[in-house]
Amino acid sequence: MIQTSDRIEHRHLGCGIELGVRPMAGRPLVAIDIRVFGGYAYESPSHLGVTSVLEEAITKGTAKHDGRALNDAFDDMGASHSTCTGRETVAFGCVCLPEFIDPVVALLTELICTPTFPEDACQVAVELSQQHVAALDDEPGELAKKLLHQQAYGEPLGRHALGEKHTLATIGRTQIVDHWKRYFAAPRMQVSIAGALDVPAVIDSLEKHFEGFDHRNGTGCSRDENRPNFCVNFTPAYRHYHKDLEQEQIAFCFPGALATDNDFAVEKVLVGVLSGGMSSRLFTEVREKQGLVYWVGAWSDQPRTGGMVHLGASTTPQNVERTYVTLLREINRLADDLTDLEVERAITGLEAQLVTRGDVTRAKASELLDDLFYYGRPIPTEEKLAKIKSVTVADVRRYLEAHPRDKLSIVTLGTRKLSL
Amino acid sequence: MHRSLGKKTLPELEKSFMTDTRFVQEKLSNDLTVVIEVMPHVKSAAGGFLARTGARDDPSELAGVSHFLEHMMFKGTAHRTWRQINIELDEIGSYYNAYTSKDRTFYYGWVRTGDLERQIAILADMMRSTLPADEFDMEKNVILEEIAMSNDDLESNAYDFLHECVCADSSLAWPVLGYERTIKAMTRDGMHDYFARRYSPGNLILVIAGNVDPDETLSWVNRLCGSWTPVTDIGSARRAPLVKQGKAVRRLGRFHQQVVMLAFASVPAGHPMEETAQVVAAILGGSNSRFYWNIVQKGISTRTGVFQEQYADFSLTVMYGLCEPENCASLHDAMRREAVELVEKGPRPEEIQRVKNLRRTALATESEAPFYRLGQIVDDVDYRGAPRPVEERLAAVDAVSAETVAEYLRMFPITGEGFLASVGPCDWPQ
Repeated sequence: MIQTSDRIEHRHLGCGIELGVRPMAGRPLVAIDIRVFGGYAYESPSHLGVTSVLEEAITKGTAKHDGRALNDAFDDMGASHSTCTGRETVAFGCVCLPEFIDPVVALLTELICTPTFPEDACQVAVELSQQHVAALDDEPGELAKKLLHQQAYGEPLGRHALGEKHTLATIGRTQIVDHWKRYFAAPRMQVSIAGALDVPAVIDSLEKHFEGFDHRNGTGCSRDENRPNFCVNFTPAYRHYHKDLEQEQIAFCFPGALATDNDFAVEKVLVGVLSGGMSSRLFTEVREKQGLVYWVGAWSDQPRTGGMVHLGASTTPQNVERTYVTLLREINRLADDLTDLEVERAITGLEAQLVTRGDVTRAKASELLDDLFYYGRPIPTEEKLAKIKSVTVADVRRYLEAHPRDKLSIVTLGTRKLSL
Repeated sequence: MHRSLGKKTLPELEKSFMTDTRFVQEKLSNDLTVVIEVMPHVKSAAGGFLARTGARDDPSELAGVSHFLEHMMFKGTAHRTWRQINIELDEIGSYYNAYTSKDRTFYYGWVRTGDLERQIAILADMMRSTLPADEFDMEKNVILEEIAMSNDDLESNAYDFLHECVCADSSLAWPVLGYERTIKAMTRDGMHDYFARRYSPGNLILVIAGNVDPDETLSWVNRLCGSWTPVTDIGSARRAPLVKQGKAVRRLGRFHQQVVMLAFASVPAGHPMEETAQVVAAILGGSNSRFYWNIVQKGISTRTGVFQEQYADFSLTVMYGLCEPENCASLHDAMRREAVELVEKGPRPEEIQRVKNLRRTALATESEAPFYRLGQIVDDVDYRGAPRPVEERLAAVDAVSAETVAEYLRMFPITGEGFLASVGPCDWPQ
């Protein structure tokens, strides 16, 4: 039986997985997203980076397949799969033709539940992580972001997924397996699936494949354990890091709304006003009118227990002061001169995005999983739209008053320090 | 293995979603080509203007003019200031941008279906930009910032250096962004002469994809663009470079990693062997590839791959990798070793089949959203003259075999000297 409506199925399976299924009749694909609550925020401080190493090593062999055979098995079905280490979760994703969803689920189960972590693969994974850490030197934007997060968010949310060279040096197969044993279990998983699928069959498949996947024997953590320790510990500060670059990286942030706050929709609109399109404040005032930058932007970041609004730009050293002053000026003067038209455009951008991205099965699976992650339930599109469309200029002003910018966490990376 | 879903089998379901689309291609009286893909199953629409002009068409003293022009096209028309252009695009919630490459410039937007006409109206107006003189110097500053940003990016440096070396006798050698000296010296009038020729309607293609009525669409396209005046002389014909062999190093001490690249001549875009070339690139350097297992998973390189750098008259197979400086020789040797192995022993049948399987899923992914279709339609129309239906593209994928791979590798060897280029802190190869 196929579900032909857009009704989303949401349930907690007997194996412990929290599942959201969005049947989308007629789609040529199925997309599956899995998150395991064992991201880098859970790492012991002496083994920072172990999750990223685990992510690399977990695809290198299972009880049934060695690494190559496992990856070949995905490719044999034309299933495009990916992994990603995040703050709280490790994510596994896959897109495939509908006829292959059951064998894909079986393969993902095998990957997540029965990895063998071969010794040589673990060693290579650590080496690669160390090389990636060193290679951040060649990505000034990423490096500035890493330095700002460390400063602004505190422990453990301010960590970088790769860890540090000295902590990676302490990681071997034992630490990888320990992390997997402690955090990888069905009750610590959220799964979303979207596309042309048979909902009851998919549910049965997940139940069957993940049944009994909980080897923690009472020593592991429930999903919410340690959650209070994952707060954002905001530190206002300014630090300049010297680096020989043609452009200076400017990055700063201040505390914003949680994803579950009523103000989160207001923050989304605010970010849209600042940075949504080419008529946005930052693009207009920093780039169009003054020619100070090629890139400038604002965005928000939401760990589940906090929120941060970020602004950033990269510019040649002689423009650093003017660029920074303009960024600050723009976010502050919104409280005085924000217009209804600006708010309307930001709302329209968010609304249109829901439609355009709605044509993409992969995006719908990801959106559903975000809903489970933040809200513990699927949020109907109408509900999301209603919240966004109700935002007014007065709401944004109230938000700005409730989220002051007198204390910022600032990082610059380049050859010229800001004179603050 | 196929499973029944209701009344349709899976191949039929897949086929109907992907093949429910159809193409309409017309040329207006002023030589503007319009290509429409009707996609009945989508809620969004995407469209854009392709200008068949890019960095390789820049006169040498105006290196960077195509890209700078792309920026200036947003700066004002007879009907709209830059501010109005930006506001109107945001008023429809468009996801829009533009890019310039070596051989093309593309301006596009992705919108809700009902906003498509307005999207194209704004872009069409932009295609007749007045290139306002009072915005020229300000935008010059933005271009110079973009050049500085690119100079801080290792892979941008590597890409530019590779072309500088391999295409040394042609306009493909200079960077898309141009040089600081040519940008600083550029004048608005010099740019306008270039624009008037290269943006003649005969050198433009309007591409649209979405759930649209093609007759209605053509009617308003005619209204928006039909009055444009064609120009007969759009400038010099392109000349394919002779692919150089040799080696070269650019030492950039401020970076940590080294980029090592090996380039060989390959099939031009639109060639019957194009799909085979892509399969070879995927077997050697895609995900789950020989490079991945025999180079990355040996700890020699953090990232390595193979890509086809394709143009209508010329193409390169580029093997590349990023590594710690002390691993340059190992990375280079490993890339060559894998290429030799592939040439001498050929691909395994299962390797070819896996790439085909992934391509099939990729085609299905692409068929979902108008925005994803734009890029492929643009490639097809630019390089082949017409869009290809999915059956034709699937057939091209299915036709790849060990025999076609062997034939391709005979015609376009990936062993032999090639061109070895290296960029980073290490003076290698010496």
